[in-house]
Amino acid sequence: MNPFAKQPNKADTAQSVWFIIFRMMTYFVLLCGAVVFFDIFYKGGKVIFKAEPPFVNTTFLTEFPETLHVFDNPVTGRKCEMGEKEFQRFKLSLKEKGDALQSATYVYSAGGIFPCIVGTVLLVLGSMTIALVLGVMAAIYLSEYSKHGPFIQWVRLAISNLAGVPSIVFGLFGFGMFVIFMNWNVSLLSGWFTLAFMVLPIVITASEESLRAVPKGFREGSLALGATKWQTIYKNVLPYALPGMLTSSILSIARVAGETAPIMFTAAYVVRDELPWEGLKNTGDFFFQGVQALPYHIYVVSSKIPQNEYTQRVQYGTAFVFLFIVIAIAMASIFLRAKLRAKYRW
Amino acid sequence: MNAASKQQSIEDALLKSKKFRLFGLNADDIIKHFFAGNATIAIVVLALITVFLFREGIEFFPKHYESLRLYRWAGMEFVDYLKHESTDLSALNRMTNLMKRQESEVLRMKGLSQAQIAERLAPLDAFAAKFSEVPDGLNGLVADLTEIPVGILDRHKMCVNAQSHKTLLIRMGKIAEANAVKVDVIDFGKETAILKTFLPQCTEIHAKIKQDIVGLMSAIPDFESAEARATSLLFKKLALKFTDGIPVTEKKMAEWNPGEPIHFYRALTDFIFGSRWVTQSFWYDFYGVVPLFVGSFMISLLAMILAVPFGVGAAIYVNQMASKCEQNMIKPYIEFISAIPSVVLGFFGIAILGESVRWLTQQSCLSWVPFFPISERLNIFTAGCLLALMAVPTIFSLAEDAINNVPKAYKEASLALGANKLQTVVRIIVPTALSGIVAAVLLGFGRVIGETMVVLLVAGNRISIPDFTAGIGVFFQPAHTMTGLIAQEMGEVVRGSLQYRALFMVGILLFFISLFINYMAQKIVTKYRISAG
Repeated sequence: MNPFAKQPNKADTAQSVWFIIFRMMTYFVLLCGAVVFFDIFYKGGKVIFKAEPPFVNTTFLTEFPETLHVFDNPVTGRKCEMGEKEFQRFKLSLKEKGDALQSATYVYSAGGIFPCIVGTVLLVLGSMTIALVLGVMAAIYLSEYSKHGPFIQWVRLAISNLAGVPSIVFGLFGFGMFVIFMNWNVSLLSGWFTLAFMVLPIVITASEESLRAVPKGFREGSLALGATKWQTIYKNVLPYALPGMLTSSILSIARVAGETAPIMFTAAYVVRDELPWEGLKNTGDFFFQGVQALPYHIYVVSSKIPQNEYTQRVQYGTAFVFLFIVIAIAMASIFLRAKLRAKYRW
Repeated sequence: MNAASKQQSIEDALLKSKKFRLFGLNADDIIKHFFAGNATIAIVVLALITVFLFREGIEFFPKHYESLRLYRWAGMEFVDYLKHESTDLSALNRMTNLMKRQESEVLRMKGLSQAQIAERLAPLDAFAAKFSEVPDGLNGLVADLTEIPVGILDRHKMCVNAQSHKTLLIRMGKIAEANAVKVDVIDFGKETAILKTFLPQCTEIHAKIKQDIVGLMSAIPDFESAEARATSLLFKKLALKFTDGIPVTEKKMAEWNPGEPIHFYRALTDFIFGSRWVTQSFWYDFYGVVPLFVGSFMISLLAMILAVPFGVGAAIYVNQMASKCEQNMIKPYIEFISAIPSVVLGFFGIAILGESVRWLTQQSCLSWVPFFPISERLNIFTAGCLLALMAVPTIFSLAEDAINNVPKAYKEASLALGANKLQTVVRIIVPTALSGIVAAVLLGFGRVIGETMVVLLVAGNRISIPDFTAGIGVFFQPAHTMTGLIAQEMGEVVRGSLQYRALFMVGILLFFISLFINYMAQKIVTKYRISAG
């Protein structure tokens, strides 16, 4: 026996036991996440993809939601599923036999989710434009121009506190201010501003952080060479702060796209059979149209209608599309950050 | 060109640059003011949030006060004394059924046949049947009395409508028509006097109930099952408490005075401490936030109990123990988990988690757990689990940051003194990063308590204070939360009504809770920050 070999002691045993426990905890969290991802992507994938070309269920992605009719086909005698429009056409084609045709109906279970996708995209575009313009400019002012004093300190405190306010409170605020006080009703505009104000604190804090991360020497060097303040900011600060701003803003896009509570009573309709740009008297009305949105649609189909095998398809399909969009945005931001971090090092 | 003009041109070139100016400001100043304007807008917007929440919410108080006064004036308060007794008695009745179930369960386990069980349970059945007759007189009286305040309120409403119609007519200048509108004034004192005339009848009924209960107490049969015996003991205790409470109620009813003033602060205290949230009922709408608050709090508590060990443990593991490759994989992965939208998680809870948890509790190998199998698919537990999954990424990333900020020298010094890695982590790194970790936990709590969609979909949405006598089983009861309630009722509410204002008040409460949590987290971080010195 080697007398110089490491003697097993209590501390080392405890260490290896605890390492295993910590590792298992970590992997348990990862596993939980994986279960959610797998469930949605597997069952949703069955709705979205299909075996024959074009491999993607285009009806689901490009049609409006419809009522599903399930009935015994009197011609073939087999069980048959049809969307509302197809069912009516089929009924007419049967002539008088069609009048007696009875079907079980399931709302929203046929057709697709095109208006929801459109609505979500519109909401995200509008609200992010507002939030980025206001937020980035405010951050530039706070970090580059403002003098440090108690007032600015107080403003910072307020902003960081507001970042933690629940989204439903922003929803209430949007309802009180835009829907009622401004009388915009349930509309794109109300939704844009509500969502924009929700992410505004996050955008400001993150942008300010990335502005401050730019070393002071960059500014001083530029000013010493005779550049004006704005030239300094424009040429020597913003380019280096941009990556940080970009990633944070992309992450807040994911948040805006994912939130349901703020748009529930400010922008989202349960169902609407027109796209927001259709049937307008004048172009300005576009801003005052309510839209369908993916997260709200998931909420509606998973809690407001009875659960069964037919509704499950639309639930999983919508969840798949929605999760895919949000995760893709988040992934883009994470990759971008990794790339840009490697590029700018000081 | 003379010397003077030459001098002038040099001065021009050097001192007066031909830069663009507007209102005496050069381009740089304009840009600065532009940014300042944007910052002001952003700040004003954030102030507006508070303003608008209060603008809609503040009118809750006068309206609530008015409704509280009507509650007393119309005599609803008086009738509610009896209604409480009636609900207490029906709760006791439910307990007799529970005893029956527990006893028959034990007897069946013993292998007795159905007939034998029925024979054994006969005395208990007789007892239950007799007991169920006890509240008959009371229920009849309550049914009679309920009509009175409802009628008074209806007439009051008509009067108010007539009054507003009249003022409208006067404002439109139709004086003659306005004078034709007759506005009655309801004398609440006179109207409710009739309620007091029922007092003797009430005393009579009470005496009979007391006599019945005391008489029946000795008739409780003995039980085989320990559970049923425990229930019967509790039953006896509650029944005695009920009979003891009768004189108190009688005194309250005798002393009840519809004209007694209500303090204005009741509008606030009844909101914050009220234990009932009942809306759109035919009787009276109660706006007590306690059941919602308790629901929110219990769900968040459970979520934190689950999330804190996992979040902090994962942070310690990833930062201190994991290899570089593991770190690079786990960190983005957890960020993906945090990107899962809450409504998708809620849907997952409805579709998969709720059902599987219930299936699990129905397994016979788990039947020894006292509260299994659970009856509700959607409950505090399912919501807590999902919220824990939402809180873990928040806690993880913030705690990981905090651990990362511990100066390297601390760790190196500890290792150099011969401590092993675990000892270093437990004794040096975690205590040093503790303020950051606590702040992370607080912010995770803030995120969880403000989460809406998951609890709306998964918590079961029953507005009542969970039954804490169930022990741990309380976590398997459905509940409703502040956030979920706002989301649920806001869509159906009449704008400007009392309920609408009440929802805004709940929003204000949430606002303050989240501000408080955030503020605490910041305080902790700044106060206990450890410098690298």
